[in-house]
Amino acid sequence: MSSASTVAPSFLARVRRTLDAAGHTGNLGLLLAGVIIVFSLLNPSIFASPLNLQSIAYAVPEIALLALAIAVTMSSGGIDLSIVATANLSALGAASVSIALMAGGVPGDAAAATGIAVALTVGVGCGLINGLLVAKLRIAPILATLATMTLFSGFAVAVTRGTPLYGLPDAILALGVQTVAIIPVSFWLLILAVVVIWAVMNRTGLGLRIILVGASPEAADYTGIRRSRVLLSTYALSGAIAALAGILMSARSASATAEYGSSYLLLAITIAVLGGTNPLGGRAPIVGVGVAAIVLQAISSGFNGLHISPYIYQILQGLILVVVLVVEVRRGRLTKWITRMMSRPPADGAALAASTGAATPLKEQPTPKPLTQGSHEHD
Amino acid sequence: MSVLTRTPQFHIARLRGRNNEGVLLGIIALLLLLIAMFSPGTLSPAMFADILRSSVVNMALALGVLLIIISGGIDVSFTAIAIFAAYSTVVLMRSIGLDNGILPFLAAAVIGALLGIINAVLVAGFKLQTLIATLGSQGIVRGALLAFVGSVYISSLPSALAQIGDARLTTIGGSAVSVLVIPVILLAVGLAVVLRKTMFGRSIYAIGGAPESARRAGIRVGRVQTVIYIAAGALSGFAGMVHVALVGHASPFELVGTELTVIAAVVIGGASDAGGRGSVQGVALGVVLLALIQNSLVRLGVPGFWHTAVVGVVILLGVAIQAQSRRRRSKRSTILESAVTA
Repeated sequence: MSSASTVAPSFLARVRRTLDAAGHTGNLGLLLAGVIIVFSLLNPSIFASPLNLQSIAYAVPEIALLALAIAVTMSSGGIDLSIVATANLSALGAASVSIALMAGGVPGDAAAATGIAVALTVGVGCGLINGLLVAKLRIAPILATLATMTLFSGFAVAVTRGTPLYGLPDAILALGVQTVAIIPVSFWLLILAVVVIWAVMNRTGLGLRIILVGASPEAADYTGIRRSRVLLSTYALSGAIAALAGILMSARSASATAEYGSSYLLLAITIAVLGGTNPLGGRAPIVGVGVAAIVLQAISSGFNGLHISPYIYQILQGLILVVVLVVEVRRGRLTKWITRMMSRPPADGAALAASTGAATPLKEQPTPKPLTQGSHEHD
Repeated sequence: MSVLTRTPQFHIARLRGRNNEGVLLGIIALLLLLIAMFSPGTLSPAMFADILRSSVVNMALALGVLLIIISGGIDVSFTAIAIFAAYSTVVLMRSIGLDNGILPFLAAAVIGALLGIINAVLVAGFKLQTLIATLGSQGIVRGALLAFVGSVYISSLPSALAQIGDARLTTIGGSAVSVLVIPVILLAVGLAVVLRKTMFGRSIYAIGGAPESARRAGIRVGRVQTVIYIAAGALSGFAGMVHVALVGHASPFELVGTELTVIAAVVIGGASDAGGRGSVQGVALGVVLLALIQNSLVRLGVPGFWHTAVVGVVILLGVAIQAQSRRRRSKRSTILESAVTA
């Protein structure tokens, strides 16, 4: 009897884990198919046309990258609210350097390459500032990145005096208009970025450490992980991804400004959460985030085609964000309840504790966090 | 042990204040001194009236945010709630032809409280992380305002409301001080009393300091959270109406985007992002400090493009200083505890 009762939870746990790993992204794929079918039926002449699908593919990469930047920081248990400001500042860096180089007689391609390098440097720099604030000064990520959001966008406004920069090199502009095998170059870039970020998060020591820090900072400390170094890398990575998004944003709009994409923050967080990222940390479903970005962009495009107000789309973003998390919380409770019911027979506390402990998903573990933090507050 | 902690740093600790209020006062005094040195003409009574005027709305908004930050949460939906409540009250008044100076403030507070229920359900009912919950409700509330209530600029308010907005309490150095300062001050004092003297107020600190301990001590965490989010909604709705009355028009695109300034004022004023700390006095100082900085940037002739960046630096410094002092405090207490046990 005892063997059966211990087998059941661990089996359930394994099922749960595989569902969590592949199932969520699979569900998102189904959701995407559903969205495409619904809008194609509602608006057959426009939505499913190759031109519209291509325009969706043009719009997805920048917002998907911003969502990935959020997902990476969220998986470490933090958040980076400065991504849009970082993206704009990086794009401005790229634009001003490459424009200045071209004015000095440097060929366009070389200027573009330098510009992109500058953008990535600016992005990593912004990320390192965030990382220092979070890791060294121990400022709460929400507050630190809210403040740097103002700082970075304020700096961008100050440098440009509020006017957009035009005249980007052709090689950068090409990212926003050219296709390879019908699919936009920027979308290929996104696929490449997803593969690289997925590999970093799932196949390298750094990725493992980021997720461990997110799952349980205390456990990570006891494991000998240098938390501050991991957090620095996390925010630097997020800054680099945001810089890439900034380059694509400026390529698509053929300009760089301090105020581009102000509505992107809510959208990026919604996509990250819909993609399966746990805001409390400990999970990095990179592919899921990519698919979620396509889902939301398809909905936005479908709404546009049906002349539905963009404000309704804003409501929908908020609803999706909240509902996904409510369902997550509920599902977690439900499976916990089921596993507890199935492991009820053995009366001894040790077996019960062990079985529920095994079945408790990773994301539930950080719950004691506030307790330990809170107890430090009282002197 | 209490003797141990008190003896050496007694005076400094006393001056510093529980939430660094003393430090804030010092910084404000230093800033005033700098302004007096570099541009003596600007330090006029009119400047104080200007600062007071620009602080009124932020102060009203900050009171609600303070409640939530003390309880260990964060709110980014309050500006959306504020403008939703105020704008739809004005729309409602125009459509039923009501013209009154007091009712709209109550109506806006009620609408704000109703919207606060959304946050209460998400945070207290579904236990969502507060940033994510309020980010979601911000999208929902703002989208609903623009899609269903209206997205047009209303240039003239009903006359009684416009009168309240223009009514002067007094005039300092040629700058008017609105009568709306009074209700905001009354609310601030009322909240300070609730926070310090009532069981409910102390439970908010308890929840923010250590939710699990608060629960075990018999505090109904969910119920307190529900009340906090509804109260914060009501305060936001009221603040939105104050804003509309003061500017003399109703635009659904205003206020949203100023969240950070208000949150920064609250945090700079000593409220800990981890919860369990903060005071109305500190928040008032934080609001005044930010208003003073913005005001003196204009008066000292700093170009407008630099204002956001400078404010960003100030916010960052304020947040960093608070984080550092909190760390020092917790370090000190653990060292002493270990000394006592050893």
